[in-house]
Amino acid sequence: MRYYELIYIVSSNVERKKNDQAMKEIGEKIQETGSKIINHIVWGKKKLAYPIKNNTYGTYILAHYQGGDNDKLREFDSWLKLSDLTIRHMIVKLDEKPDNEKPDIVESLEGDKSENDTAEKGEDKSPDEESLKKEKNKDEENKEAE
Amino acid sequence: MAFQTRRKYCFFKENNITAVDYKDVKLLKRFTNDNGKIMPRRVTGTSAKMHRKVVSAIKRARTIGLMPFVDSGSE
Repeated sequence: MRYYELIYIVSSNVERKKNDQAMKEIGEKIQETGSKIINHIVWGKKKLAYPIKNNTYGTYILAHYQGGDNDKLREFDSWLKLSDLTIRHMIVKLDEKPDNEKPDIVESLEGDKSENDTAEKGEDKSPDEESLKKEKNKDEENKEAE
Repeated sequence: MAFQTRRKYCFFKENNITAVDYKDVKLLKRFTNDNGKIMPRRVTGTSAKMHRKVVSAIKRARTIGLMPFVDSGSE
């Protein structure tokens, strides 16, 4: 049996209700292909590394499912591409069966559900990046030393 | 040898990591430079096997907007 991971981004400009509606519709479409959904969870609102369709922020949603009919799955992929529900999606084949429980990354993000908290988290992240850059600079210095 | 060489090591072997997930941006950022380019194996010291996994993970992260294709540094 093949297991797939679907990740898609819903524009953060839309209301929460529409967010849920997208999840519902996509969930139904997955089931139509004869697949079995294992997980379907909101990963969280994130800043995109580059603007996608004029969006700088997006809500990431993850879905794990057991593959059903291959032709229908291909159809589902192209349907997602054409639909306006998402701004970008990606389907990845998994090597192993995904955990039934929530993935680790979701747990780490669960503390900040409200939007204000995510803004704070952005500030928290910056020192980490600085330290990483310092490490990189050190590496470069070492290279020069060599 | 006239000079001492810095010992290179595979980050994944040191930390006993066998799988790379494209969602783990914090980990993947170690293998890109400030411009967002993937650093070569000769710089990072990663084993060939894991480097291949890192490369595909970074490329996946890029397509889904988690990592930049080009980071100009202005943002």
